[in-house]
Amino acid sequence: MTIFTPEATLGPFYPGVFALEQMPHDLSRVTPILAHRPQGRPIRVSGRFLDALGMPVPSLIVEFWQANAHGRYRHPLDQSGRPLDPQFDGFARVRTDDDGAYTFATIMPGARGARAPHLRLTIFASGIDRLVTQIFFDEEPLNETDPVLCAVKDPDVRRRLVAKKTGDAEFTLDIVMRGHNETPFFDDWAR
Amino acid sequence: MTNRVLPVVHNDRESEARTPSQPLLILPSEARDAFDPMPVLPPVSPREADLTRIAPGRPRASGDAIVVTGRILDEDRRPVRRSVLEIWNANTRGRYSHIRDLANPAPLDPNFYGFGRATTDDDGVYRIRTIKPGPYIARTDIGWWRPPHVHFSLLGGGVRLVTQMYFPNEPLNEKDYIHMTVPADERSRTIASAVQPDVFQFDLVVRGRFQNFV
Ligand SMILES: [Fe+3]
Repeated sequence: MTIFTPEATLGPFYPGVFALEQMPHDLSRVTPILAHRPQGRPIRVSGRFLDALGMPVPSLIVEFWQANAHGRYRHPLDQSGRPLDPQFDGFARVRTDDDGAYTFATIMPGARGARAPHLRLTIFASGIDRLVTQIFFDEEPLNETDPVLCAVKDPDVRRRLVAKKTGDAEFTLDIVMRGHNETPFFDDWAR
Repeated sequence: MTNRVLPVVHNDRESEARTPSQPLLILPSEARDAFDPMPVLPPVSPREADLTRIAPGRPRASGDAIVVTGRILDEDRRPVRRSVLEIWNANTRGRYSHIRDLANPAPLDPNFYGFGRATTDDDGVYRIRTIKPGPYIARTDIGWWRPPHVHFSLLGGGVRLVTQMYFPNEPLNEKDYIHMTVPADERSRTIASAVQPDVFQFDLVVRGRFQNFV
């Protein structure tokens, strides 16, 4: 039997330089000097990360991973035949500010079969091991059939995975790491 | 199969406030796929793997220069190729050059930033040079000293892992609340072995069936 390397917290002194300068944090634009844009509808998702006391979680790293506007992942195992978007890679790393707030500019991910449009989040912060969850979007008809949302039986808990529409292209969702209104998290070790 | 509940680090206020209380949910099989994040990896210059000098021609950082090297393997014992490691550690006096490391009275070293990167080669091997970190006090009120350790974050090659490497024969290892959350029979996997006095080997085995597409 293989014994894996145990995971641990990255905190409390993760060098911000990795998060701030080395990775994309805005997927809605390619670069300021190119006229091209990724295909699809630009959106902004924002909110706060909160702890058990309702306090903001600053300097938290959240990595986003998503399909392009056609529902295609830039991944060698995505054999769906859907088109790739040369302007869109689908990975970003964002760091929360002193108020625990995050803002992620991207394009609305495409649907994929029964899967509703969603973002995959991997969360790192001082005090926790890696956390994994997914964010969905208000008013998407496929939310009713999405297997991940359907796996969360309690409708109150399910709502904690759905970002609220607050403008034409604006969505907001707070992620509660522990306690009242705790966000559901998933185990990506279990395959 | 029972759902995992993540461990809370005893006496760590951030862990107590941030670790989910509920068991992790198992993703339904229809939603399990191979599409783990595959970031476009940043280019890494070989110089970034040497933390002992912040720039060519600058004085070497104070403390003991060491090499940390090892292999990254997946669960099928295949090398994880072209994975990017981010590594960071405190200076020889136990101080991080981090804006939030304010309470620590230990001095900064002007010649040590304490973070760097490396890429694994075709055999999954990485090699970094750094300064052996000093222990530091995590909580003065209860006298919790953290043992010397090096932080690792791996991405790319189909894997994502964050962990901490400890040094052998450090008495503080057994008293560290973070280290103690690792089950006793797995703890040795987080401790490097000294293959020479200044060369430490630290191999990692990562989960996931879908590595090595980069
Ligand atoms: Fe540390």
